[in-house]
Amino acid sequence: MYGGGNIFEATKFDDLQTEDPAKLAEFEARIARGEKIEPTDWMPELYRKQLIRMIEQHAHSEIIGALPEGTWITRAPGFRRKMAQMAKVQDEVGHAQLLYSAAETLGKSREQMLTDLINGKSKYSNVFNYPAFTWADSNIISWLIDAGAIVNQMANAKGSYGPYSRALERICAEEAFHLKYGHDAVVHMATGSPKQREMIQAALNRWWPPIMTFFGPSDKMSTHTETLMRWKVKMASNDECRQQFLDMYVPKIWELGLTVPDPNLKKNQETGQWEFTEPDWDEFKRVINGDGPCNAERLAVRRTAEERGAWVRRALLNPKAKYVRPLA
Amino acid sequence: MLKSLDPRVTRLNLPDGEVPPMEEKPELDQFETYEAFHQKKDGAAHTYVGPVHAPNEDVAFLFAKEQYSRRFPCVGLWIARTENIQVTPYGNDGENVYDMLRIEETAEQIEQPEPYEIFHLKKRGKAHTHAGRVMATSYLNALQEAKQAFGEKSPIVNVWVVKSKDVLQSAEDDKDMWTTVPEKKYREAIAYKVMDKITKYKEERKNTPAQ
Repeated sequence: MYGGGNIFEATKFDDLQTEDPAKLAEFEARIARGEKIEPTDWMPELYRKQLIRMIEQHAHSEIIGALPEGTWITRAPGFRRKMAQMAKVQDEVGHAQLLYSAAETLGKSREQMLTDLINGKSKYSNVFNYPAFTWADSNIISWLIDAGAIVNQMANAKGSYGPYSRALERICAEEAFHLKYGHDAVVHMATGSPKQREMIQAALNRWWPPIMTFFGPSDKMSTHTETLMRWKVKMASNDECRQQFLDMYVPKIWELGLTVPDPNLKKNQETGQWEFTEPDWDEFKRVINGDGPCNAERLAVRRTAEERGAWVRRALLNPKAKYVRPLA
Repeated sequence: MLKSLDPRVTRLNLPDGEVPPMEEKPELDQFETYEAFHQKKDGAAHTYVGPVHAPNEDVAFLFAKEQYSRRFPCVGLWIARTENIQVTPYGNDGENVYDMLRIEETAEQIEQPEPYEIFHLKKRGKAHTHAGRVMATSYLNALQEAKQAFGEKSPIVNVWVVKSKDVLQSAEDDKDMWTTVPEKKYREAIAYKVMDKITKYKEERKNTPAQ
């Protein structure tokens, strides 16, 4: 999973005038040559801040996204599914670790990131503020939310920051299993008994509106966006990602005889673009700002884990330990 | 109290509604960091996979084993405290960083040489790979020796140097800890024959008249 789109407001646009023009030119030339930026290279403040923000939110999304699926481990139907669900959730938490480390190389400590997550100062993908009512909901998350994340991650893996690209390559390799596992689980339900079909359709109906918001609202094209695209921080627009997702997955949903709960969803044959009912962005804003069905629970669970584990970490801490940023 | 769809969460008896912000985590709450290198198969060089946070070397090894060698073939794992690794500046792609470094001859060697491990990054964005081991009296001397021993082949954009005694290396006997990795087919995409199921479903539907 689970990196949602660039759905949160960007860092304030810092005036690049304050950057050293020679260094900035060298930095931009490196990116233009297709070279990656490594942690000790000079980089503009805007680049650093925006990447920390993106990678950190991606990490939070992995760790929070593991909660709705993790809930279903104990109730997964059958031993094989339990093993697979467990392996997937473990992968997601591992992805969070990889991403936190990548963000750390840019200078924000893991302690600070975890505090900011729990205190609501930094966000995670909004879809995880919705509950997974049934096993079928968990299947839809495994398939379609992961699918959306992969669209995003494949694009970002080609970005300019070395540690983030390395982490994403590893993440994408592991995601191949998630996508197949999720698809298989959905196909199993959709081709099963009438009750199973009904369950998976109901879950799809519940998850479709959040899925359509997954990539975020249309980007406002600004100098800021152009700069981030030139620096290969932002690799594709939110709309491009959404279109690509619809192109790849709507046919796969339809071939199972399932329906998408949007009467306006169709591909315009002339433009080649998907048309759909505009998602409810007011609800999106309301939920992302804390007023969703599961926001409080997600953060409370995370906080409890942090607080109840604190004494173990304190007991293990070597008094001579000295923090050094990870190297790459 | 917070009521969840998950009874285990409900049983945590968490407060519902507004809660005061969590206190800032103290420094080192997440410990220090270690860098991990894995070996994909016998004879292959150890390659950098990423960092882990851990309270000591042994726990770092366990965490790295879970984090980096759980899903793909692995026969060896090395762990080094980040603090113990010396890093050269980064060169541009295509350059050889050894040629750019001014490595002065060290004064007469008083100390006994000891082994150092040398890791090369061949291209930005890729992973550092073990180039080999040199005997040296200091990090700088190790870089000198490495330049002689492995520095010829361009390009090398970055070098990491670490004393061998600071690297926790899995032993030959430890290899069996990875033998079950390939058995866990349920976490491989290839284990899910989705297309077969879809084809079968479509066939069945074709043969059943619409109701």
